[in-house]
Amino acid sequence: MIQIKDLGFSYGEKAVLKNINMNLEEGRIYGLLGENGVGKTTLLTLLCGLKKPQTGTIDVDGCKPYDRLPSFLSDQFYLSDEVPAVNMKAEDYAVTYGKFWEGFDLGKFNEIMEVLENDPHQKMNKMSFGQLKKTYIAFALACNTKYLFMDEPTNGLDIPSKAQFRKAVTKYTREDSVILISTHQVRDLENIIDPIIILDKQDVLMNATIAEISEKLYFDYTTEKVEDALYSEMIPGGNIQVYLNQTEEESKVNIEALFNTVLKHKELIKGIFNK
Amino acid sequence: MKNDIFNFRRFGKYFTSDLRTCVANYALSLLTMAVLTPIATYALISGFAYLMGGSWEGPGVRTRAFIFFMMAVCLVVTMPVKCYGKLTEKQYGSFWLTLPASRLEKFISMIIITCIIAPIAGFCIYLGIDAIISAIDPTCGEGLMATGINYFRNAGEFIDEIGGELTLNFGNEKIPVEDRTLSMDILRQMNNPWLYIDDFFAMSLPFLLGAIYFKKGKTVKTFLALAAIGTAASAIMAPAMKEWAMRIVESYDADMLVYNMFNSGLFRHFALIDTISDTLVNLAILTGIWFRIKTLKH
Repeated sequence: MIQIKDLGFSYGEKAVLKNINMNLEEGRIYGLLGENGVGKTTLLTLLCGLKKPQTGTIDVDGCKPYDRLPSFLSDQFYLSDEVPAVNMKAEDYAVTYGKFWEGFDLGKFNEIMEVLENDPHQKMNKMSFGQLKKTYIAFALACNTKYLFMDEPTNGLDIPSKAQFRKAVTKYTREDSVILISTHQVRDLENIIDPIIILDKQDVLMNATIAEISEKLYFDYTTEKVEDALYSEMIPGGNIQVYLNQTEEESKVNIEALFNTVLKHKELIKGIFNK
Repeated sequence: MKNDIFNFRRFGKYFTSDLRTCVANYALSLLTMAVLTPIATYALISGFAYLMGGSWEGPGVRTRAFIFFMMAVCLVVTMPVKCYGKLTEKQYGSFWLTLPASRLEKFISMIIITCIIAPIAGFCIYLGIDAIISAIDPTCGEGLMATGINYFRNAGEFIDEIGGELTLNFGNEKIPVEDRTLSMDILRQMNNPWLYIDDFFAMSLPFLLGAIYFKKGKTVKTFLALAAIGTAASAIMAPAMKEWAMRIVESYDADMLVYNMFNSGLFRHFALIDTISDTLVNLAILTGIWFRIKTLKH
């Protein structure tokens, strides 16, 4: 379990994260959403030990990530949004570096590469950005780590690859793993991320499961306009409208509409979900 | 409980992968320098001599030693940037920092590869090619390696005893020394390999620190930093040096000065003094590298 207490971080004078408090529990795939520059990548890099918290603490099963102890590092993997094109074949890369993660499985790496329709015998510096990204996704999943942090993993992937990615994430991760995926492409991950964390400037606006969201907000897909809707958007064939769920009726959560609703009514949403 | 500071098995794994990455990044450059430089030197100088003088004459030992020294400098300057320079880039550095090996293991591996493996590989290849060229073409004289070995083997010839006076011979220079123990002391110290090895570390380490410290213009900034430190050190040492320099100017007796220098207590321990000063410099740079690795963030 990851416990974040009063976490703060700034770049010079510019504060990015301030008094962030949250717990990330095992067996969940968290979606980390937020506008550009709110600190999604900063939070991920703090969690995996690439940065040092300036205030507050991060506790990952009793370890401080910034200590970068091998025992901690071998149970986590951070997939950066920018991945290096090394002068090695994908399979050689997996053999060379995979041995550092105790749970790494070369067979699984090759299997995921096959699912993602990627050639493990190709040199990584000859791959396109999408192919390279798929290689690193396969490697990250094959490491079998408990903690997996992914920054914009679907960036650069073509449409079929995005579906393959969703399939791979659900099939090849551990039951007890904590996965945190930061993304702007919410539709790419719509059916796999749960709970959803929405970051705002220096604040967490929401950290709730799909069930909790569905319990408190109603997503209406109709042609009729509702006056007191918190958010309304025209979509092909009608409107999607979000309003407070007062009838306890269930609805399918639309993450894009949710995100826009949260940004439009920050204090209201914070109040509802922090009760 | 797992050892998070140093584990031999994990170090072995890390060292192998680090070496493999360095081979992928630098092997071609190293081979180009170590193989092509002696061949190109030989071809150019011999061809030029033939065109100008009409006779085929290979480059002599001094020319080849100078080219070898230049190659060594190029290797020392370029290797750390090619192998470890990318650690300051987000995409490479993030992976390296989160690779499950301890800081100490990463540090030791970096030092061994930069200061021992890469230079030895480069020098062996270069000297091997030089030996082959020298064996094929006798006009080049003996190979650099053979010259070096003979230099140390014939160290005794540096001492002459003429008319009961002991001298140390440096080419045509003959410097009188007071007793045999002192001459043997000086020779023994000059033959101590550590005298040269720690100098080599002192040459390599600043460029490794520069490669992982500066984000851009790594080599140029390292040279500038070295120049700045050199200037600052000179300024600090100037008062002490001034007195010594004034004595030289005022004495006008260079032979006496050299005699005094070689027979002074200071020179008797020059290897020790050199080793201590180089070790202090190396320790300072190693500390810098360690803290850079410790505080590197992305």
